[in-house]
Amino acid sequence: MSKLQNGASSRGASATPAPGTPTPATGPTSLLPPVVGINFGNSYASIAVFTKEGLAESIANEDGERQIACAIAFHGEEMYIGNQAKQQLVKNAKNSIVGFRNLLGKKFSEVPGSEHPTLSAPIIQHPDLADTIAYKVEVLQPAPSPLPTSAYTTPAASHAPTPRSEPIPSTRILTVHDVTVIFLRSLLKSAEDFLGKPITGAVISVPEADTFGEKQREALKAAAKEAGLNVLQLLDEAAAVVALTTTALWSGDGEEQQEGGEPLGKDRTQLVVDLGASALSLHLVSVREGLSYVLASSHTPSVGGDKIDDKLVAFFAADFTKKTKVALKVCPATAVADQRAEAKLRLAIEHTKRTISASPGAATCSVESLKDGLDYTGAVNRMRFDMLASPIYAAVADAIGALLARAAADAHDVDEVVYVGGTGCLPGLDSRLCVQAGFREDVQTPFARGIVVGGGVGDPTTIIARGCAAQAALLDALATSDAQEDKEILAAFEAGAEANQVKATTKTLGVLFPNNLPENREVGGTWIPVVQRETALPVRRIVALDVGVEEGSKRVACEVWEVVEGIRTEKVAPPKSSDDEDDDEDDEEEEEEEVEVKHRTLAKHALLAALDGPAQLAVQTKGKGADRGRWFTRVEIQFVVGIDGDLNVELREIGGAEGLVQRVHVAA
Amino acid sequence: MATVQVLSIATPPVPAAYKPPSVPSTSRISAPHPSGHRTLLPVGPAYINHLRLSLHHSHSFSSLDKHLAAERDRLAALHGEDNAGEDDLGVGEEEEPEELLALDPKEWKKQDHYAVLGLSHLRYKANADQIKIAHRKKVLKHHPDKKAATTTAVPSSLFLTGVNQNTNDDAFFKCIQKAHEVLNNPEKRRQFDSVDPVFLELEEDMPTAAEIKSKDLDFFKTLGPVFELYSRFSKAQPVPGLGHIDSSKEEVEGFYDFWYNFDSWRSFEWLDKEVNEGSDSRDDKRYTEKKNKSERARRKKEDIAKLRGLVDMALGLDPRIKRIKQQEKEAREAKKKAANPAAVVKKTKQQEEEEKKKAELAAKEQEEADKVARAEAKKQKAAAANAAKKARRQQRAVEDGGAA
Repeated sequence: MSKLQNGASSRGASATPAPGTPTPATGPTSLLPPVVGINFGNSYASIAVFTKEGLAESIANEDGERQIACAIAFHGEEMYIGNQAKQQLVKNAKNSIVGFRNLLGKKFSEVPGSEHPTLSAPIIQHPDLADTIAYKVEVLQPAPSPLPTSAYTTPAASHAPTPRSEPIPSTRILTVHDVTVIFLRSLLKSAEDFLGKPITGAVISVPEADTFGEKQREALKAAAKEAGLNVLQLLDEAAAVVALTTTALWSGDGEEQQEGGEPLGKDRTQLVVDLGASALSLHLVSVREGLSYVLASSHTPSVGGDKIDDKLVAFFAADFTKKTKVALKVCPATAVADQRAEAKLRLAIEHTKRTISASPGAATCSVESLKDGLDYTGAVNRMRFDMLASPIYAAVADAIGALLARAAADAHDVDEVVYVGGTGCLPGLDSRLCVQAGFREDVQTPFARGIVVGGGVGDPTTIIARGCAAQAALLDALATSDAQEDKEILAAFEAGAEANQVKATTKTLGVLFPNNLPENREVGGTWIPVVQRETALPVRRIVALDVGVEEGSKRVACEVWEVVEGIRTEKVAPPKSSDDEDDDEDDEEEEEEEVEVKHRTLAKHALLAALDGPAQLAVQTKGKGADRGRWFTRVEIQFVVGIDGDLNVELREIGGAEGLVQRVHVAA
Repeated sequence: MATVQVLSIATPPVPAAYKPPSVPSTSRISAPHPSGHRTLLPVGPAYINHLRLSLHHSHSFSSLDKHLAAERDRLAALHGEDNAGEDDLGVGEEEEPEELLALDPKEWKKQDHYAVLGLSHLRYKANADQIKIAHRKKVLKHHPDKKAATTTAVPSSLFLTGVNQNTNDDAFFKCIQKAHEVLNNPEKRRQFDSVDPVFLELEEDMPTAAEIKSKDLDFFKTLGPVFELYSRFSKAQPVPGLGHIDSSKEEVEGFYDFWYNFDSWRSFEWLDKEVNEGSDSRDDKRYTEKKNKSERARRKKEDIAKLRGLVDMALGLDPRIKRIKQQEKEAREAKKKAANPAAVVKKTKQQEEEEKKKAELAAKEQEEADKVARAEAKKQKAAAANAAKKARRQQRAVEDGGAA
């Protein structure tokens, strides 16, 4: 009897799936965590989600913008959010709200008058709430809908509705909290529309603690909660960058092998240059196999993309005056017409800057009716642009120098430079910094690796959002896991601080294979660093390498050392030009100073252990080549530094069970 | 397990004169930065592992390794089955025999659409999603563009080397499209399902009553699948099954009730003769249509009769019916016995005889009475006729006199 019930008719089958067919299992798409990473800057925001390819990708909002201006404008009955709102700054400046993120969680009395916005809606003291920042905007409120017609109340009953009356002009008071909620809600909606399902978690980036304090973070969390976002974590911008730069996708190993580029080492010192519109943040980060901490950081609010904008606006204004003989005074502009022209130019140069960043040719700037009804079209090439921006570049380089000096590090210690923020896209900045800050020749920058343009992983404008998304996915996995341990770890994330305090090594540990090669004279052997300095404890590192052995004794011997790495600066006279045909040139060369050349140095600090033993699994190299006939064995050396600073070294011959094994313990 | 950093260097052998230095027993690694000097950035899987290490495994790497391995195994077990790519709702892959691939799209009416789409194992049970998936699969495999690109035809002669011989090989693709067209349209699909070739085959070798009796086949094992086969045509679902030997009286009655009132959606439009669309002879068309209609009605009638015959046969052979009848009889008798064990039976016999006689008498009397009544009525009729004649004659006489 029960069997027959399975016989669904063909017509009913489409409505009710025939029993026996498996229920639709979760496909690969549903495995993607519905989370969003939000880079919430003061000037621009960006959002990133996990796409079908399983990568965190920055997505565009409804206007097609990946860099969404943090702006809200009111015009009549309409409300504009994002880049549309920015356009309103030209004609409707007093109803446009920009730069609200930095005001979040601040009291009115805490904001000095000099920081009040001049080109957008002014901030006022909230009329009702004490010491609260508010914006007052003029809006048109829709008139209340007329009462429904009723046969009883009107003498001549009509079915035609009474037309609505005109909307009523009124003012609306918005607190910074309200503005943030509106903005975050629009970001959330963009992400949900893209994914087609509700977002369950979000990670939002915030500036570092000394500029964006605990109170402000609380205010941001409250606003995000009201906007419908489940905030998993507020990430410092540096942390968000590291979240992305420690992935295999970034470092270029694993499946996502970068074309041509070498995979980055797992241990590296990263310099994060966050050059936004309004401020410069620098972080020197020590990345050790994914674990990372900030060695030093600096925040310079006076340096930013806005300064470059000023220069560029002034350049184009001068060009306009030259072309049209119409006076245009900008930066700062006093007359209303000049102010409006400046606002128009500022909007137009966004495009110019992006073109400069993306392509080597000249970038144009066109504004219709810039002043007195005259249109303007001008162009700027990269060289001229870099000349204009040179003071800002120099300021960034100086800030880097100051930071490195404070961290007692040398520019040569920096293994990788990461640029963040719209201004970080400028190739001129990279080339200037590499020269002026004195990085190594082989320093890894996104430009050198060619991962900036064309939506590469190194795109400075989206790094933070994608890092946030990657982190959100991790936390989402923890949150959905039902293991007790995962729950506790998630709780540790919320509690924060305690677990983040770590001990770290101060000097590099490694092994030395003694030999008499001339290039190793400095330390008397081949030095292999295993545990780099500035590595958080506890730590375990394993290296594998081939060790040559004598045919007879098959002896494997090495010493465990702690070393001090340093930089030696040497002044070298520049090589003389080989052809001395031109006398003038020779004169110039003689006047030149000696060039500073930096070398890495090693100094043995302490001998910790010595390992010595016969290899059991050595093999002789066959075939041709320099190594022919030599004996080698492959060893793995494991270093474990405990939380208290005790060291365990294990040397193990690999390839068989009967290999040589030597263990040494160095007490703390 | 921690990742092993493989270095691509080979150190030269240790010099024979090398003597290992004596390690001072007091040697220690330099004091690390104290806790609090460095603050980890709380990001990345490495940080989560660090938390695990410090919170749960008391900084022991071996304990963490064990935990992570266990976790990996658990996840592998969890996702092992459904990790095999996209779910195809059980459509699967079916073999494509030569004769299937050699189908002629012109003869699409005769092809088995389910077999073409690789749904032979589901047939009428396939739902719309499965049909969609099956169609996609087949199209991906048999699209003419794809065929042209991946031609594997071994050239039969040297002259044809490199010449693509598969260019015009979209016959099966057309069959696929046709099958999809039919199965995707609920009405067409119903018509096709009505005359599903596999069903017709099964219908062919349906057992007859004689067979069952002569071969002494098991009633339930023989007829159960037959009813199951037919149940697909019922508009009302679910359909009660044949049941088993111990089914209750209600179940058995319910079963026969349902099958005697079987409401079938089966129809026979699929077997219609093609109306010759090209011809402009309206009569021709109408003739064909009319013929089709009557043919359909005939087939439907046959179908109903067949099913009715099947149910009749089942009812006749059903061992449960005999049992139920027996039980009913026994129950009745037991009831009667309980009321008045002996008298009831005798009285009824006498009464019956008396009643019979009475009835016979009454019938006889009635007959006689009828005869009398009939004779009477004849006489009256004749009298009436005579009277009427007389009256007419008198009237004529009066009229004649009046006129003269």
